[in-house]
Amino acid sequence: MLPHTPEELWEVLRAEPQAAVYAGGTDLLVKLRQGLVDPSCLVCLERIEELKGVQEFGHEVFIGTCSTHGYLLANPIIRSNFPVLTKALELLGSPPIRNMGTIGGNICTASPAADSLPPLYVLEAEVEIRSKNTSRRMALKEFIKGPGKTSLQPGEIVSGIWVKKAPGYNLHHFEKVGQRKALAISIASLAGLLRASENGVIEEARFAWGSVGPTIITSPEVEKALVGNRLSRPILEMAACLARSAVEPIDDIRASGEYRRLVSGNLMVHLLTLQREVCH
Amino acid sequence: MPVKSDIFKIGSAIPRADALSKVTGQEKYAADYYSPNFVWAGVKRAGVPHARLKSIAVEVARKLPGVLCVLAHKDVPGSNRQGIIFKDQPVLVDTKIRHCGDAIALVLAEDKPTLNKALHLINFDYEPLPAIFDPEKALEERAPLVHEDHPEGNLLQHISVKVGNVKEAFLECTTILEGSFEVPFQEHAYLETEAGWAYLAEDGRLVIVASTQTPFRDRFEIASALGLDIDKIRVIAPYLGGAFGGKDGLTVQSLLGLAALNSQGRPVKMWWDREESFLAGVKRLPARMYYRVGAKADGTLHALDCRLYFDTGPYAHLSSEIMALAMEHTGGPYRIPHTSIKGWCAYTNNPPGGPFRGFGVPQVTAAMEQMIDMLAAKLKMDPLEIRRQNAVRQGDRNCVGVTLVNSTGALDCLETLALHPLWQERKKWKESAGPFKRRGVGLACMAHGSGYGPIIPDEANAKIELTDEGKLRIFCGVSDMGQGNASTCLQIAGDILGQDADSMELILPDTDRSLPSGSASASRCTYTYGNALIRAAQAFKQRLFERASTLLIIPTSDDLSLIPGGIRHLPSGKEIPLSQLAQLMDPPERTCTHYYRAPVAQEKLELHSSSKVFGLPHILFSYAAHLTYLEVDELTGEIEINTYLSVSDCGRVINPQIYEQQIQGGIAQGLGYALSEDFSVKEGKGLTTDLSTYIIPTTLDVPEMVSIPVEIDEPTGPFGLKGIGEISINGPLPAVANALADACGTRISRSPFTPERVLGAMKEKALHEVKP
Amino acid sequence: MKISFTLNGKVNQIDVPSARRVIDILREDLELTGTKEGCGAGECGACTILVDGESRLSCLMLAAQLEGRSVTTIEGIASEDRLHPLQEAFVEHGAVQCGFCIPGMVLSAVDLLQRNPNPTRMEIRQGLSGNLCRCTGYQKIVDAVEGAARKIGSKKD
Repeated sequence: MLPHTPEELWEVLRAEPQAAVYAGGTDLLVKLRQGLVDPSCLVCLERIEELKGVQEFGHEVFIGTCSTHGYLLANPIIRSNFPVLTKALELLGSPPIRNMGTIGGNICTASPAADSLPPLYVLEAEVEIRSKNTSRRMALKEFIKGPGKTSLQPGEIVSGIWVKKAPGYNLHHFEKVGQRKALAISIASLAGLLRASENGVIEEARFAWGSVGPTIITSPEVEKALVGNRLSRPILEMAACLARSAVEPIDDIRASGEYRRLVSGNLMVHLLTLQREVCH
Repeated sequence: MPVKSDIFKIGSAIPRADALSKVTGQEKYAADYYSPNFVWAGVKRAGVPHARLKSIAVEVARKLPGVLCVLAHKDVPGSNRQGIIFKDQPVLVDTKIRHCGDAIALVLAEDKPTLNKALHLINFDYEPLPAIFDPEKALEERAPLVHEDHPEGNLLQHISVKVGNVKEAFLECTTILEGSFEVPFQEHAYLETEAGWAYLAEDGRLVIVASTQTPFRDRFEIASALGLDIDKIRVIAPYLGGAFGGKDGLTVQSLLGLAALNSQGRPVKMWWDREESFLAGVKRLPARMYYRVGAKADGTLHALDCRLYFDTGPYAHLSSEIMALAMEHTGGPYRIPHTSIKGWCAYTNNPPGGPFRGFGVPQVTAAMEQMIDMLAAKLKMDPLEIRRQNAVRQGDRNCVGVTLVNSTGALDCLETLALHPLWQERKKWKESAGPFKRRGVGLACMAHGSGYGPIIPDEANAKIELTDEGKLRIFCGVSDMGQGNASTCLQIAGDILGQDADSMELILPDTDRSLPSGSASASRCTYTYGNALIRAAQAFKQRLFERASTLLIIPTSDDLSLIPGGIRHLPSGKEIPLSQLAQLMDPPERTCTHYYRAPVAQEKLELHSSSKVFGLPHILFSYAAHLTYLEVDELTGEIEINTYLSVSDCGRVINPQIYEQQIQGGIAQGLGYALSEDFSVKEGKGLTTDLSTYIIPTTLDVPEMVSIPVEIDEPTGPFGLKGIGEISINGPLPAVANALADACGTRISRSPFTPERVLGAMKEKALHEVKP
Repeated sequence: MKISFTLNGKVNQIDVPSARRVIDILREDLELTGTKEGCGAGECGACTILVDGESRLSCLMLAAQLEGRSVTTIEGIASEDRLHPLQEAFVEHGAVQCGFCIPGMVLSAVDLLQRNPNPTRMEIRQGLSGNLCRCTGYQKIVDAVEGAARKIGSKKD
């Protein structure tokens, strides 16, 4: 099924409530091959123009759900406003996967290792959910309920993501640890959005960790620990300890929980390299 | 670089002859065969590591529309046993399942979805048996037996070699060090998985097109497994999409043969998907190595005692030979007057072990090269210096007592490396590490013996034909799995016969057309076939000149010269096109063949073994010295290789481009083995089952590599060359281990050195330093 | 399902199940075996093709998605009388060993050079990071793309 308009889509979803919806196919088609899903029908969203693109609405930006990672990486609005997202998308998958995979797909697959999620969490993104007759917005961090689980109801799709511009934040950071430098599922990742004063004192900070819990992990304690301080080794070591308490990593084929916990903290210490960016 | 009208010259970096058809997508691999009425064949695999097979339920699968047949062991007409030396592997399991990838049933179906559905519908009843997953434990008294009828229990092979008197020698050493090392399975991960195509020809012969390194030997295995006459089997080996040893022996061939016998005259296709390749394909043997090295105060190596344990999994395959080659290299390229080397190769219910580029040498090089560095550190010697001091020269004996009669460039490699800017400037590089990064450099020096050893003949039969059209048809006798030996055949023949690409043709191995020339393995492809081809080409040249001189009515063939497409009489300028010459020659005269058998070591070793040893000792060795620049992140344990230098003695270089291709490719695979290829098995079941969990290097994981040849002429080699296919894969693991130790003072006994293991090791070390 | 799409410059009409993989359509139905399968799961890049000029993995694309698209496979990038500069460069620089990864690698390189006609070696590596090769160690592939970029660039001057 290849609907070209939202109307066609609603019709298809009404007729086939058990249909599996995809855009790029980089997650669903792999699951299909593994026999993990066996849907009665497949619906591809890639032709619905209304679901693509980036639009500015004052201090908010709306990202269409079917925007590919590659499209977003090249988009000037995304590049200038959300470097934290751009940095993550550059490391996601590989070039052909970035040409196919979409931000909506990354969100709806809701893997705790998804690379677009930590940046979207620190940007306090909201998903827009549509069905034939309804439209609602919801914080991304509430939308994702667990590994692979979202609040989507039958007949609904995520139609896009609302992201507030964050002009006050002058430090955008993303780091990912993987088993190799491309085509790598994250073992641990950290997105950070900071605002530092002219003399390097952190005024606001937001962090989100990926691959170290059932969903993306955030920690007000870590954020508070940095506010009012400069990025120094002792402060970051302390923040690292707090981070290690906040995360809930598991053992899997890629890494142990213990390693993930250790690195979640260490990624905070890596922020010391941002210090140079801060004090120029 | 223009190709078309240049005469092939030895020593030139001529682009490969197969590159064009591959870069246009025209070249057909074994996986690329289709036809209007073909049938898919697929295998139901055990999924359990050790069990007695009681019954197989195939009726439901058989009745599925689109299924032609479902075959089980009783449908196998011959012995139902295959194997290279020991025929211990069933084509389809009859009594016992010995590993998760064992083949239970064979399905023929109209299309892939039906095939997969049918495979799902096959059930089998089995009685699980206690299984064994550790090669050392497998040799203990009460260990479950993988082959109950095997007289030595789970011991496939035990070899013990010694030189001198190692017990006394250790008493004479001032420094003695011990080390133990563990290396894992390694998956070949060729891009083209195991694939083939088979049909019964009109004359009833079985024709198999397969991605195989061993088309001639395959026929013997298929014949006995399926109860067929060898002459009734034809095997064709197109270019392989990679092999690296994983297609040395039967993969799809006997299954395809069985399928073709049951496909009602329709051609059959089998193509293992990636997960099946992981499950059923052979892997590099994991090993545990216990080393004890003793040296004199000045760093001279004096004694070596080592014990090696190799895990062959359920079948013998070539594992005894792999262990034998490993044992010959345990002491590295060094003079060690007293050695005691013991190896045990055990059956387990782990995934099947088999050949993988390096064939046992990467494993022991990993151990010895780390011992050397540890020794250097203990003696406060420079790691390059200690290697130079002990490096073998021509005429020395290696660690199993064989005299190195042929070219021996270990020292030349080390000396060339010593002069390289990368070695000279290493301190400066190390000192400029950024925040949270530590830098180190690491060396490795290695040897690699080529050929099969003294018993199995390393022989080839070259063949050249002058076609009706006057083209020189060169038969490549040995499978080209990407290493470029087919192109090299053209280059060798072209050089001797004065021809260019337009006037030559290349035929890939086909048991009906080319002549038996051995396997594409053991770094012997170009050496052995090349030597046969040179002799054939020279003989053919003589014959062509003799015929030409008759036709040109000249008294002697001395003033004749071969030119592209013809022969010219230099004094008179008279030419005769080869096409004309061909017409005037009887067909039998237009074919020229020549046999070559590689020399073998004559020396007897002080060797004991539990069963006959093939593959030890060797007589011809290539050498290399490697240097790596490594940077490790203190916070994540991630390693980045900044640069990699290799200096290799592989004799003379026939084609610099192909030379670099082999060295670079081997280094990349070695780096994967060192850093990220963490093949994971739990109770016989693979946990890394595909390319998303088994991590091979991408473009961003392999550094810029510098490859320098040290060209020492090897008189026995074709145009002075030696084997090059495997030497470079032996270096990266120890070079990286040594560089890591240099960077952060820690060694990890178990590879690969994943970020997790590295961070864990750094943490351990930090803890030990804190404690008083 | 009847599907109409442009393949290597020619309009093509096929009638296949809507969920048939594009790689199977190319290799089995249209007999274009240049596009290779290495994993079937998007992990190796061997199946890379160009769809409307962008690199995509044909093992993760279904028939229905072809409608109205313009697809280029390895068989379609050479012109009547000569190879694509990237193909020439791959041959010249020794970037081809077993060759199984090469069709996908070349098409990814085409996509790369279209976006970035003058890439650094690091940018070339990044651009090809979704194509696995087990034979070459990538260095000569990077050399080839660099060489092709130079050649294409100098032609334009």
